[in-house]
Amino acid sequence: MTVDTQNSNSAAMRFEVLKGALKDGVAARVGRLAFSGRLPIDTPNSLAMASRGALPHLTPDNVGKHLQAGGAYMALEDFIERPQRYSKRTPPIYTTPTTPKHTTRLHSFTAMPQSVTTVLGARRVPAVNSPMGNTNASISVFTSTGFQVLTTREYLSAVTALAPDIAIPLTDLPHSPITPNSKRALRMAERTDEWAVEWFASLAESTTTIPQRTATFAPVLPISYSIQWEYIARLAEDYLPTGQLSGLAIYDPDLLPDLAEHAPALLPLPRLSLSNPPTPHHILRQIALGVDLFALPFINTISDAGLALSFSFPPPPPSPSGGTTTSGLSPLATDLSHPSHATSLTPLSQNCTCYACTAHHRAYIHHLLAAREMLGWTLLQIHNHAVMADFFAGVRAALAQGQEAFEEVARQFSLAYEPDFPEGVAERPRARGYHYRSVGGGEGRRNKGGGGRGGGGGGGGRGGGGGGGKVDGEKSIGG
Amino acid sequence: MASNRTFTSPALTFELVARCSVTRARASILTLPHGTVNLPIFMPVATQASLKGLTPEQLEATGCRLCLNNTYHLGLKPGQEVLDAIGGAHKLQGWNRNILTDSGGFQMVSLLKLANITEEGVRFLSPHDGSPMLLTPEHSMSLQNSIGSDIMMQLDDVLVTTSPDAARMREAMERSVRWLDRCIAAHKKPDSQNLFCIIQGGLDLDMRRECCREMLARDTPGIAIGGLSGGEAKDDFCRVVAACTELLPDLKPRYVMGIGYPEDLVVSVALGADMFDCVWPTRTARFGNAITKHGMLNMKREVYAADFGPIEEGCGCPCCRPVEEDGAMGITRAFVHHNTAKETVAAHLLTLHNVWYQLDLMRGAREAVIEDRFPAFVKQFFGDLYPDRSSYPSWAVEALKGVGIDLLET
Ligand SMILES: [Zn+2]
Ligand SMILES: [Zn+2]
Repeated sequence: MTVDTQNSNSAAMRFEVLKGALKDGVAARVGRLAFSGRLPIDTPNSLAMASRGALPHLTPDNVGKHLQAGGAYMALEDFIERPQRYSKRTPPIYTTPTTPKHTTRLHSFTAMPQSVTTVLGARRVPAVNSPMGNTNASISVFTSTGFQVLTTREYLSAVTALAPDIAIPLTDLPHSPITPNSKRALRMAERTDEWAVEWFASLAESTTTIPQRTATFAPVLPISYSIQWEYIARLAEDYLPTGQLSGLAIYDPDLLPDLAEHAPALLPLPRLSLSNPPTPHHILRQIALGVDLFALPFINTISDAGLALSFSFPPPPPSPSGGTTTSGLSPLATDLSHPSHATSLTPLSQNCTCYACTAHHRAYIHHLLAAREMLGWTLLQIHNHAVMADFFAGVRAALAQGQEAFEEVARQFSLAYEPDFPEGVAERPRARGYHYRSVGGGEGRRNKGGGGRGGGGGGGGRGGGGGGGKVDGEKSIGG
Repeated sequence: MASNRTFTSPALTFELVARCSVTRARASILTLPHGTVNLPIFMPVATQASLKGLTPEQLEATGCRLCLNNTYHLGLKPGQEVLDAIGGAHKLQGWNRNILTDSGGFQMVSLLKLANITEEGVRFLSPHDGSPMLLTPEHSMSLQNSIGSDIMMQLDDVLVTTSPDAARMREAMERSVRWLDRCIAAHKKPDSQNLFCIIQGGLDLDMRRECCREMLARDTPGIAIGGLSGGEAKDDFCRVVAACTELLPDLKPRYVMGIGYPEDLVVSVALGADMFDCVWPTRTARFGNAITKHGMLNMKREVYAADFGPIEEGCGCPCCRPVEEDGAMGITRAFVHHNTAKETVAAHLLTLHNVWYQLDLMRGAREAVIEDRFPAFVKQFFGDLYPDRSSYPSWAVEALKGVGIDLLET
């Protein structure tokens, strides 16, 4: 196996590939993504998904103390609503003062612990479908006061004002249940290309326009490579050599082999998957395709459903005494609302050392879910993020042994666990925000699509059908 | 057992630390099975064994050493069987500090309209299936023994103080005394759990005094004043508290049930009460309300949308202190405004702040008593809360005058 050590550095960011095959195309790799002033993120890893600047149910002190969150994804649409009576107001986040510790407005406004790397995109992942299309200079976003137009210029100035560690330039995604035809797909590529040109031009114009510290992760569209090749070629030829391009935000990891073949210069860049993989099986597949970082909305959704993640990587050796379902496979999560946990003083999952598992037990979470007490979801969030962090640590440890070792453990994992999450019968938290209101009928197989409470589905006469665009990372939308 | 400063009973020690030289305010140390508690104290209400999204760790960090659980709620969920299997409420919620539980009776009377009180107990229809149920003093004790609370309350016959029916009021008072006897007889763990009596008698001061004498004769380790917070006028409330504290022994803790507004706490401390509880500070947080020394602020208001100050300037809670300080978050009003009614985190943050405010108010009162500057503390408190003296509530002015503080004096 070929092991290359390659670096991708910009003013603010340093990404090192510590182990992984590069020469034979894309494959799983181990890396380290570091921003000055933040805790380095060992990859593969995941980002916590913020909602309105907060990790759901977790106050910033709990995030700092009980989560190993290296990075958090935030959506600009969560901050720029225009209340009817104050429609002219400047979004308050743009004027937040910074402090010696919270040196960026994004950190300062959200009180996100300073060790956490921030990633800013225009829209939530998954995003609510928009009935209005994008234009040549704007996209449609969904705020707590409804759909709104976000222009490329406003987005640029937002990024300048907020100074996230990573920013994803505006992307022309249809956010519609309808698969784009090839004409629409071509326009997506052209617009995203034009917007990238505008973005980088603005970056070149003034060192202050995009702050020195913000790294650009350019989007790779969920359409076939042949439709967006010009755009991708431009990224590789124009913006990689200048150091302006720091990473890729990938909506469909199945394009990675094409990228490796046609734009190998982009390979050293860190790759963030925004494809919303619904299960750890999908995550492993994407890791094998070379994804370094994941936006994982399902963690929040799983916690809201009263489920405690119960998998580990590598999987524990099979025990004859069960813990498995009728299929002979272990469940990916435990439904703590089930009466069997009412008096169980055991941790949420075996060997977990998170705060929820060391200070509390299943019986308490079961009680909190039955009583609809908010602390239940708080403790589940702490646990579920911990399980995910352990999972990625296990993946990195296997990869450190080599590609074959990783593939073997991944194979064991797929044989050990059920393909899907259990449903979870607990009542969900009361709708906390606008992004839930627009979700219709997503209560059922919540985990199947990107729909459900994470905000992907449509309904309410607003967003159309379920599943916010591309969700499972298995097939691409474009032709 | 009592020295002139300390009272000891099997599961409780009360040590009087200082007394205000002007008012009846006291500072003391209450030692319970799960550690010591400084009095006066506000006790947050963790109704269903959880405080509105705060982890027990966060609650403990506010300085809370004694919180409430509601017997009625825990009896329904998780239920007595589960509590017995787990080993009580401390173990259920991972809280190693003290717990106080009510009897369950008040919750029934206030939550269930069809509750009906007989000599046997409180009859009510099960909220589960509508079947008739009965809460007796014996059953309340049994439930509270299963919960394992450090302080249990007797089942009492609660009547709104404003009830005009004097005969019914007398019946309720006398029945509460009889029920205390049944509670004492039924209490299985007097060595590890304290049972407090509850003084009833409505707004009739003579009846209250009579009740005090009857209850004191039963020698419980602590004493509660009950039936208040039911909509009576504030001056009536103060008269009842003052009439009771006058008769109560120095060396036992005095708990005024269901009280939580900051003014009520400060005045009640001046009248000689030590312990208070109320759901209001945590419930109001859910609606975006922050308690501050200048009054309540609703964070939903547009004026806070771009207010980057802390929830309360100078507050020592983990939300308000600048992020540069150890263990602080540097939360702004703008962020709370941004998420009120949208993300549960906003409610958690305000709960944290409000609980801190209430505990800190009592810490401040305690220090002032110890340093014998409590009257100045009270004046400062009202000065901060109201724009000028003419807006001070007359009930507070009168009640404080009765214990030697003239709020209007210049
Ligand atoms: Zn855990
Ligand atoms: Zn505060």
